[in-house]
Amino acid sequence: MKVVKKIALVLLVAFVGIQFIPTERNQSDSVPSTDFMLVNNVPENIQKKLQVSCYDCHSNNTDYPWYNKVQPVAWYLEDHVEHGKEELNFNEWDSYSSRRKNSKLKSIISQIEDDEMPLKSYTLIHRDARLSDNEKKIVLDWVSKLKDSL
Amino acid sequence: MKNLKVTTVILAMAFIGLTAISCKDAKKENTNEEGSQMEASHDNSDGHHDKEAMHDNSDGHHDEDSDSSTDHTRDIEANTQKNTATTPIIDAYIQIKNALTTDNKNEAAKGGTALVAAFSKFDMSNLTGETHKEYMEILESAKEHAEHIVKSPIDHQREHFEVLSTDINDLVALLGTEKTLYQDSCPMANNGKGAIWLSEVEEIKNPYMGIKMPTCGTIQKQIN
Repeated sequence: MKVVKKIALVLLVAFVGIQFIPTERNQSDSVPSTDFMLVNNVPENIQKKLQVSCYDCHSNNTDYPWYNKVQPVAWYLEDHVEHGKEELNFNEWDSYSSRRKNSKLKSIISQIEDDEMPLKSYTLIHRDARLSDNEKKIVLDWVSKLKDSL
Repeated sequence: MKNLKVTTVILAMAFIGLTAISCKDAKKENTNEEGSQMEASHDNSDGHHDKEAMHDNSDGHHDEDSDSSTDHTRDIEANTQKNTATTPIIDAYIQIKNALTTDNKNEAAKGGTALVAAFSKFDMSNLTGETHKEYMEILESAKEHAEHIVKSPIDHQREHFEVLSTDINDLVALLGTEKTLYQDSCPMANNGKGAIWLSEVEEIKNPYMGIKMPTCGTIQKQIN
């Protein structure tokens, strides 16, 4: 019994302890002029969808729910955001060369088509980030049109 | 003894913590069955349609119809400079291409690593102005696709190979090569929108369809 208590205590101390390790928050007040929404004429419904479903990991500003401020969940999320921004950062869209824009749009289409994005682990909690079949089609049609216009 | 247990627990905690940090979403290794459907709808009965595009290449001139799949592609014959500096890049690209023709994911990944290495060794000190700018754009894109080819399942490798092929094609057009290359085209790749690839051999070996349909495609151009 003593051992169990000790383990519980250690776990508790560790849990509280890791809360004090600072995490870099992916948050920014300003939207740079290179942002995808600012340089493309994006219809409002698609803007909203991209914002909710993509921007948390693919921009400089994540909308954090409370549980994502708790460690170790926050670490896990930070890792995703970091990797996500590396692959595609909508805020930096216009700094990409047209070659890169084209290739990014192609990847966006294929990731959405194959249901690989938004990530399952993300939509599990963020239910509003899911794309219904109809939403998928609307977004895909629009992104394809943008790609063809480049 | 008690101390030992406590230490063990702390170590275990640290381990779990680190695992959580480094944990990445495992990418789905879904096998792509699309190819089999497409095969059924494709008339490949003669098995020699790839030869139709063959011409007497001795004069280096070709009069193939322009194709829709290469809208964004530079004319591969734009530069006839016999450049040896691009050879390691092209060789690594060919390594990926050949691996994909035999559905070999691991070899393709090795080719991706070789391509990244070839790009970082490339000496761009004598590139200037527009050429340098365009090279940098190609480099950025091609490296990104090579990196994805290293870590992706084969259907994704092929998607990245589509864009990579355009990049390498443009690189050859921009800087030239000493090698003899064929620009081949597969109308069924890229979800039926078509895609090109470069080959070092005249014979068609399709990297997009792999062993399911190795001879699908036509030669569009020859360089050198």
